[in-house]
Amino acid sequence: MSDLGHYALRLALLVAVIGIAAGVAGGWRQRIEWSAVARRAVVLVFVLVTLATVALWVALASNDFQLRYVAQHSARGMELPYRLAALWGGQAGSLLLWLWISCLFAVAAAAFHRRSPLRSLPWVWALLLANAGFFLVLLNFVTSPFEKLPPAEVLSDGSGLNPLLQHPLMTIHPVLLYAGFTGFSVPFAFAFGALLSGDHGTAWLRATRRWTLIPWFFLSVGILLGGRWAYEVLGWGGYWAWDPVENASFMPWLPATAYLHSVMIQEKRDMMKLWNLVLIGLTYSLCLFGTFLTRSGVISSVHSFTAAGWFGFIFLGWVVAAAGAYFAVLWMRRDSLRSPNRLESVLSREASFVLNNWAFMGILVVVFWGTLFPVVSEAVRGVKISVGPRFFNAMTGPLAVLLLFLTGVGPLIAWRRASPASLRRQFRLPLAAGAGTAAGLLLAFGSGIKLYPLVFFSLGAFVVGTISQEYGRAVRARMRGSGESALRALATLLRKNQRRYGGYVVHLGVVFILIGIAGAAFNEERLENLKPGERLAMNGYTLEYLTARPLPQQHYGGAVARLALFEGNRPLGVLTPEKRMYWLEQQPASIPAIRSTLREDLYVILTALESDGSATLKIHRNPLVNWIWIGGYTFVLGALLVLWPHPQRRPGRDAR
Amino acid sequence: MSKGVQIAIGAAFVALLLGWYATTNLERLGSFTYFQTLEEFRAEGRPGERVRVHGYVADGSIQRDLVGRQVRFAVQNDPPHAGQGAEPVLPVVYSSLETPDLFQDGAEVVVEGRLESAGASALFRADNVLAKCPSKFEAKRMEAASF
Repeated sequence: MSDLGHYALRLALLVAVIGIAAGVAGGWRQRIEWSAVARRAVVLVFVLVTLATVALWVALASNDFQLRYVAQHSARGMELPYRLAALWGGQAGSLLLWLWISCLFAVAAAAFHRRSPLRSLPWVWALLLANAGFFLVLLNFVTSPFEKLPPAEVLSDGSGLNPLLQHPLMTIHPVLLYAGFTGFSVPFAFAFGALLSGDHGTAWLRATRRWTLIPWFFLSVGILLGGRWAYEVLGWGGYWAWDPVENASFMPWLPATAYLHSVMIQEKRDMMKLWNLVLIGLTYSLCLFGTFLTRSGVISSVHSFTAAGWFGFIFLGWVVAAAGAYFAVLWMRRDSLRSPNRLESVLSREASFVLNNWAFMGILVVVFWGTLFPVVSEAVRGVKISVGPRFFNAMTGPLAVLLLFLTGVGPLIAWRRASPASLRRQFRLPLAAGAGTAAGLLLAFGSGIKLYPLVFFSLGAFVVGTISQEYGRAVRARMRGSGESALRALATLLRKNQRRYGGYVVHLGVVFILIGIAGAAFNEERLENLKPGERLAMNGYTLEYLTARPLPQQHYGGAVARLALFEGNRPLGVLTPEKRMYWLEQQPASIPAIRSTLREDLYVILTALESDGSATLKIHRNPLVNWIWIGGYTFVLGALLVLWPHPQRRPGRDAR
Repeated sequence: MSKGVQIAIGAAFVALLLGWYATTNLERLGSFTYFQTLEEFRAEGRPGERVRVHGYVADGSIQRDLVGRQVRFAVQNDPPHAGQGAEPVLPVVYSSLETPDLFQDGAEVVVEGRLESAGASALFRADNVLAKCPSKFEAKRMEAASF
């Protein structure tokens, strides 16, 4: 079976090369039959890569430890779901998964645009195949998942997957992130194809926007789940550490989100074509770059990068080539992309979107610079300097405030030029909501409240005010106009203009997430050493250390502490933080115990069991952190409302 | 002046403001820290300067002081089992009992803090300790964890 996978990858590379040639020929000579060949090559490559992926899955499920990859990332003792998840536990397998998902997107595009008259399509197929071809070269010649161990090294068991990854969230988080990363190859190919073919009409724009929304959704959810996993498993009390790996997933999200906003200006006012093409190019370049960062070892040290040899250089070469080619063609076509329209007023929706784009780009610059600074400094000056989370928080905070403010302004302000009267009418209620919240917070907390929570909560109220006002007005208008009931009017609204009203729900989710993040300003933490029977009081809670027991599990040992939790005198239950040691992998792990409410989380880590029988505990009180996950669910709901296909609307007739 | 230029000026103003904020505040916030190996630190380190030093926990050196709520240990430049024999160690006082999971004899650590005194009575006061997998285990696996 593993031989089958090996040869499937070889054959896929061959088919991809043929398909690229056919696509280029079809694009160059405008030959429809060559385009069809290229499209079929996309389908065939997908079938072959699927075969390879299934082959590796079968090898993992059947414990085929002849394969180096299976031996290094799986073990007999692991449950089947985690053996299958080991597909993305290591380098070669995760590249195969990356390739497979990108082929899935490519084949979806091929099916969807089978009868499309777009002139750029042969180029699109060639570009998608070139993207797959690069990963096929890596998987065939640089890091193969089907590499066999020399017979003398074959053992009867593997060394297992990192136990921290053996968590339900980790079976889906990487898949979602990859779906985000790879999915952006489709809008990239459509934009690049449009540039190459010179077909700058509006059809490619609709195609790109739709194909951006889907990976953007996956990437967003993937990032959120990653935070959730870090919170539940890594046991340091937080969910986001501005770690280079996290930043690598966050960076493409920024231009993609900026694009989803500014593309509306292009649709309504035929402006910012060039800029939108820049954003699409940036998004996919950063996806490739992020994969390079996390896969090459360059982040831990420039020297480990050069030691890693071929892989990093080939990958960096590809990132530079793809981005370079795209932006070179964009530069050559710049004159035909000029817009006839100009920005008419600073008080307009266009201007608010332009500012929104600048803010997203500002955050991108900060994150990019902070992530790469240690590498650059080591390469240039030979000194390694680390950049802490404080830098990122301090720099992105003001920009996040600006974005939250614009979230409220953008939907209400008029296109072209807003009149003072319309501004008053639109913003009276939301501004009152924001100001009222600010006043209430100042009254309740006095000057003790910190600046960021005050600003975030007030602006959050302002945005929620704008959203409710928009929904309220539209529902009332429908009820008056067509005599529908409120619920029915709401449903019609969501169906007739799903982008707008679904988008508002997405915004609501973002507001919740930002409120949850701002809650961190009230975080408290304590480190205590308790003997059995001793208590500690923290902010109305009382924790009593009862006992510690050994953890007799099959794959790991360690201890679980039992803590009685009281609020006042009312018992709330028993918390059981664990300290584990995974035998096979020799890896320790602290599993926190979390008592979660809408108001706050109590997050308890068993730091150490001391030799005198006492326990050292780290207790975090994390107010409002649950709102991040609630915001996540709201976000998903909103995104689904936007993406939900409505049968009565044909692709040709895009909604206004 | 076109509106595009006006907005660009506004954006440039915000960028300048942020840049100014960054350069004036970040040193104070302590966001940028030099990262050195113990050997480099021995050669260049001065008392009082905030640094991150990379090394390995010397075997048997960890003492947890529950009353004083601190951990004392020693770091050395090379892994204890690398076979160089005894090498000079740097005593560290970490002012918390909160040690990372991977903190143990032989673990690869980065200590963050300041050198309190130099010379024979050298003492490093750490306010943060990061630990990596001990080098006897395959480091690859940790990288896989990162994506």
